[in-house]
Amino acid sequence: MIFSIIHTTSYKYDNNVTYCHNLANLKPKDFLGQKVLDYQLEITPKPTVTSDNSDFFGNTVTHFSIEKQHKELIVTARSKVERSFELQKNILHFSVCKELTLETALEKLNTLDEDIINARQFLLDSVLINKISPEIEAYAKVSFKKDRSVFDAAQELMKRIFTDFKFDANFSTVATPIDEVMKAKKGVCQDFAQVAIACVRSIGLPARYVSGYIETLPPPGKEKLVGTDASHAWFSVFIPGFGWVDFDPTNNQIPKNQHIIISYGRDYFDVPPLKGVIYGSGNSIMDVSVDIRPAKTQGQSQSQNQF
Amino acid sequence: MDKSIDVFFKNYFKNFKNYDEVLRSDMSINPNWNILLSNFSKLGIKELNKKQQDLDWLLSENGVTYNVYNDPKGLNRPWNLNIIPFIIDQKEWKTIEKGLQQRAELLNLILKDIYGKRELIKNGIVPHEIIFAHRGFLRPCHQIQYKTSKDLLIHSADLARGPNGQMWVVNDRTSAPSGMGYSLENRFSTREVVSDIFNEINVKQPFGFFKDLNQLLINAAPKNKENPTIVILTPGPHNETYFEHAYLSSFLGYPLVKGSDLVVRDQKVWIKTLKGLIQVDVIYRRVDDAFTDPLELRGDSYLGVAGLLQVVRNQNVAIMNPIGSGVLENPGLIPFMNSICKYFLKEDLLLPQIASWWCGQEKERKHVLENLKNFVVKPIDITNRENIYFCEFLSKTELDSLRNEILAKPYHYVAQEKISFSTAPNLTKEHLEPRKVMCRTFAVAKENGYSIMPGGLVRVASEREELRVSNQKGGTSKDFWITNSTTKSSKKRQRYHWHHSTANNLSGIENLPSNTAENLYWSGRYLARTLVTARYIRMVLNQMGNSDYHKRDSDFESLHILYQSITHLTSVFPGFTGKNKVAAFKDPLKEIAIVLFDKNKVGSLAHALSSFNNSYYSLRNLWSKDMWRVYDALQKVWHNFDKKDHKNIQKITKLLDTIITKLIAFIGLIEESILVEQGLLLYFIGLQTEQAIMCIDKTRALLAVNYNEDVEYEVLEALLNSHESLNIYRYSFKSYLDIKNVVNLILLDNSYSRSLKYQLNRIRKDISKMPKRTENTALTSVEKNILEACNLIENASASELIKVDENEFVRKQLETLLSSLSDLIHNTSMSLTDMYFNHSDEQIQLINQKYNL
Repeated sequence: MIFSIIHTTSYKYDNNVTYCHNLANLKPKDFLGQKVLDYQLEITPKPTVTSDNSDFFGNTVTHFSIEKQHKELIVTARSKVERSFELQKNILHFSVCKELTLETALEKLNTLDEDIINARQFLLDSVLINKISPEIEAYAKVSFKKDRSVFDAAQELMKRIFTDFKFDANFSTVATPIDEVMKAKKGVCQDFAQVAIACVRSIGLPARYVSGYIETLPPPGKEKLVGTDASHAWFSVFIPGFGWVDFDPTNNQIPKNQHIIISYGRDYFDVPPLKGVIYGSGNSIMDVSVDIRPAKTQGQSQSQNQF
Repeated sequence: MDKSIDVFFKNYFKNFKNYDEVLRSDMSINPNWNILLSNFSKLGIKELNKKQQDLDWLLSENGVTYNVYNDPKGLNRPWNLNIIPFIIDQKEWKTIEKGLQQRAELLNLILKDIYGKRELIKNGIVPHEIIFAHRGFLRPCHQIQYKTSKDLLIHSADLARGPNGQMWVVNDRTSAPSGMGYSLENRFSTREVVSDIFNEINVKQPFGFFKDLNQLLINAAPKNKENPTIVILTPGPHNETYFEHAYLSSFLGYPLVKGSDLVVRDQKVWIKTLKGLIQVDVIYRRVDDAFTDPLELRGDSYLGVAGLLQVVRNQNVAIMNPIGSGVLENPGLIPFMNSICKYFLKEDLLLPQIASWWCGQEKERKHVLENLKNFVVKPIDITNRENIYFCEFLSKTELDSLRNEILAKPYHYVAQEKISFSTAPNLTKEHLEPRKVMCRTFAVAKENGYSIMPGGLVRVASEREELRVSNQKGGTSKDFWITNSTTKSSKKRQRYHWHHSTANNLSGIENLPSNTAENLYWSGRYLARTLVTARYIRMVLNQMGNSDYHKRDSDFESLHILYQSITHLTSVFPGFTGKNKVAAFKDPLKEIAIVLFDKNKVGSLAHALSSFNNSYYSLRNLWSKDMWRVYDALQKVWHNFDKKDHKNIQKITKLLDTIITKLIAFIGLIEESILVEQGLLLYFIGLQTEQAIMCIDKTRALLAVNYNEDVEYEVLEALLNSHESLNIYRYSFKSYLDIKNVVNLILLDNSYSRSLKYQLNRIRKDISKMPKRTENTALTSVEKNILEACNLIENASASELIKVDENEFVRKQLETLLSSLSDLIHNTSMSLTDMYFNHSDEQIQLINQKYNL
């Protein structure tokens, strides 16, 4: 499955911005099962400086600075990504790992294996997920039991969040603490992912934040509108002996080919798609649009031209 | 024991027995202290006490301060230095020095490893939580490479003598260690006040160390520049150790800058100067790690420079210490230091450390929880000193809640043995008292190792029985001597000067940092405002006294005019105008007290003084010691004025007399202590601008209206008096007071330094010396405005200005001229600000987030 993704973020400022320094976390990851065929970052006005780094978590981060006056910033990431979920290691084919109980999992986490040491940092408090409340822990414990399979429990947690929480784009901002989301049981994908991560960490298992895209399908018989997709986020649980398994609580799905991964982190703070410091005064208006569709082959686009 | 020394130690240990540096349990004296004590006994306790007072006076006069956050006594608490130094013999010091060199090297290797390969974690030498759960571990610093010979450039340790007689490491300071400047000032002050106590004692001097520090800064420059631009980055005057930042800036000769002075452009760091941007090669930072870059680190920081970390990554700037080194301020590492030492250096750790148990390990945690009362518990990242738990003093509930905190996040806590560290004698109220001491040492990186400062900063607990030693909690300090028991090799005087080899390439008016320039400009303006306001009100108070005596009608009328002119001059409204007029005339002293003492009213004398204070503190690296003294005296007179005297004409007049004299002394000192290219030019422009503005306001308030002859006489006299120009008038005109002559003298005189024309021409001349930002030879808007003002006044004639049309009260031409001049000066100041200071840009986060790193 090959996708073309266009992710555009624009800022319109009331007053001139003299200069700005920014970070973009927009390049999809390369791994067995996901291949980046093409990636371009277009920025207007043209930055004076751009450079790519690999961050602590192995994500690609682009630094760019615009050093001339501007009143509008447009950042467009165009990616072409080949997704082949069937190449990925699938837990459903590893019954021992799938059946691994919480008790055994916690025991296995105490070994000095390199993968395990690496994973265990996702147990610790992070910038946005810290001082996990007893409410969250209690919510987690409904699903996670000593002698129950970790995979089953995580899948159930995903389903419960999907059922119990209401998707509400107007409730939260990037600054809303998870405790408020937990209380109101409302929010967006990022909130659900972070609540789930807090739940999993509260019972002693490593959990990480995944930022990416999801392809949305139009209602049957309708044309898909441009720009209706969005940035997406979900969570991933570390199952000792197997590795990381992703769960999407917003859609109650175990991600497959429709999910495209950009980056991993401890929470949203580590992987915001765009952040920056601008020098100017006054307010700004932001607009984001994401468009994901199966890439047309050369032949198809030609046939369209013939109409 | 020598009899005379014996006197000092009478009752020394009363109620308090402890391991002491000087007096042993058998009451014999540690021989290393013999000569010092004998020098003391020659002075005698009375003299010693007097010298202590001299020392206190000197430090306060020199403005040596330490700021305590949220201190009710306000900013700038005086630094305390006890006259009795702390001594370690050279032989013991050699061992300590080796241990410190090893520790610095070890921490350097740890720093390299945890931001690089992380072998310590991978190989199980250090549990990952000690690094990953430490808030000083900054993930954006992962894999940054440095060109300097070491990653860790400066290391500081707190040492204290444990019960086994050895010096133990209690803390490491690696982010932005403080204390070097204070230790230097301690040495200079002790040397100045009690040079006699150094007699026959060979004390090692720290100047070689400072040379190494300076060389380190020069060598750190990424492109091996011969003459790199080095700056000291401070969080600003509110920081607890701001004195030291300013002190080191003058001592080392590198400019003191704030984050807002610097900017990242084209992958480099630049300092904003009057001429433009100049590239910075090395930053000696005193801003904590997480605050240095609002792009990649704490987004809410206004103390750093956005994009700085990326410049570091590109190796276009060196920072001492590197950002991220705060992770080594980590008591969690202590239990693992021995294994780390074996792992990296294949040798044993030389310096003993305070016994510590990391609660992340089950066995250790159990031990700690079972014996909690005997421990001192700290989080591994003690960012807040209030977070140290001295368990022996905790109640049962407090212990339980600590226990729960440890159980919730065991890896976040370290328990340390409760230790009775050694005491040393402190001079307290005419006798010696044993007090706990803690020694802060300093190491800087060299090509093949670390250079250790001989001595350092010794801090002393604030109370006799106090366990904690911290400057935030009060307490005092000591000069730290490393002595050589062999007597002085020669009679050669030890040098107390230090020359460094490179010229500061940020000299000259063109390279003056914009912020410094702006502060100098405003210092000038506020000083002038303070002086003119004080003189004016003093004049009005004098007139009030006179008219009480004469009781003439014209006096009352002229007094009312003067009252109203106060309001126009200071803009403290409503004052004597509008609806308030009647009440204010009835009780003029009440209104005058507001204009003098209400700090919250913009335009009041108190407000001008406190605004001047702000600019003043931000510039403290520029001021001379004499200036400190005058300034300090000025502050004391002002703040000690009793509130109940706020309506006492005589006392206020006396206060104003003193303030005026001190201000004039201060202004005189500024002119001889700072060079024009150091920024005096900006100060002058500010001073003249404010004087011109106030001259215009005064003249407008007093001369624009045509009064009858008697009143006019009074008003003219008042104006000349407030201008301190009466004598000059008499000398120049030898006549009865006449408005035309007064206008000629106060406004139009060519050569009288208090005339408006002179002042405007002076501003124009000074502005023409300001650096140009472009090659363009056209006049800048600053120049245009001031030139127009000068032309206007050049073409004015007194006889025209004083004309009053029939049936009119107002001197229209005078009013028009003064109002145009006022606008032009205002525009000059605005364009000067836009062109040279320009801080109108705010730093804004693209996306608002609330979090703490």
